Amino acid sequence: MDNELQELEAELKRLRPLAPSRAVTDDIARQLAAAPGHRRNFWAWTALPLAAMVAGLVLLREQPVAPAPTSAPVLAPVPAATAPVVAAARYKPVSAENLLYARSDEGLVTLADGTAALRTRSSYVDTITWRNPRTQASLKWSVPRTEERVVPVSFQ
Amino acid sequence: MADIPDDESWRDWFQHYGPKLLLCARQWTRSLADAEDVVQEAFVRFWRNQRQLGGEPQALLYTSVRRAATDLARRNSRRTAREVRADGGLESIEPIFHIPLEGDDRRADIETALRDLPEEQREVLVLKIWGELTFEQIAAQLGIPPNTAASRYRYALAALRDALTAADCHG
Repeated sequence: MDNELQELEAELKRLRPLAPSRAVTDDIARQLAAAPGHRRNFWAWTALPLAAMVAGLVLLREQPVAPAPTSAPVLAPVPAATAPVVAAARYKPVSAENLLYARSDEGLVTLADGTAALRTRSSYVDTITWRNPRTQASLKWSVPRTEERVVPVSFQ
Repeated sequence: MADIPDDESWRDWFQHYGPKLLLCARQWTRSLADAEDVVQEAFVRFWRNQRQLGGEPQALLYTSVRRAATDLARRNSRRTAREVRADGGLESIEPIFHIPLEGDDRRADIETALRDLPEEQREVLVLKIWGELTFEQIAAQLGIPPNTAASRYRYALAALRDALTAADCHG
């Protein structure tokens, strides 16, 4: 790339894109404040079986299948707890997709504190892909997810 | 790329990356308001569900923005996502960049030239310059080979340079 293009590139990098409006930040704060504990529990319960599944698949894929030699050297046993972790660490998440397949508007509801709110329910399939950059082997994990949004409303 | 901070620091993180995400979202939506909705939805989704995954969070976040834009297109109309992207939120009249105290003419020229770029060049340029993604990450986002991403980037820069030179001559 010639100097002129490099100068233009540097000039473009100095331009600062417009920031989202304050309303966006406020809405994010409201949404993140709503039931964060549920999400933490979700990940706590899914991380362990997911890690086990990844480790199992990686081991299945990477274990060489060969007949045992007649005079096989005695190998030191690999601790079962560490081998899957090392193998799974080679995989890196490369994409995360969310497919919306259903959405229902449940209309006005009344919250526990008497506040009126609009409630919508969306159903997604989340698909996360990991890839091993060395072997290009990949692993996809899809899980259904239902998202419920409750937006307080006020009448004037 | 900085480490992802804890729950309490999402505002700092969003303050830094929000403008870049909004610029990318504007390519794939029809208006600034739609782009803000997309950024909001994608960020909440990322923060709740994806930031613990490890790897390169910025790439995951752009994937989330792109997916949210596609979802929005599906919800808002029966058009295909491709048609909506072709409309280009950057076509709207709202400025793209902060307006500096000096050199506003130059910024306006750059915005015009950016809007005039072919869509496939513009999205690579935006993801590279302001999204700070590598060509490999851009390729993964757009489903194209890394060499194609790199060549589109060079074409985009060259087209911008030509347009800005012409604007200088006529200005």
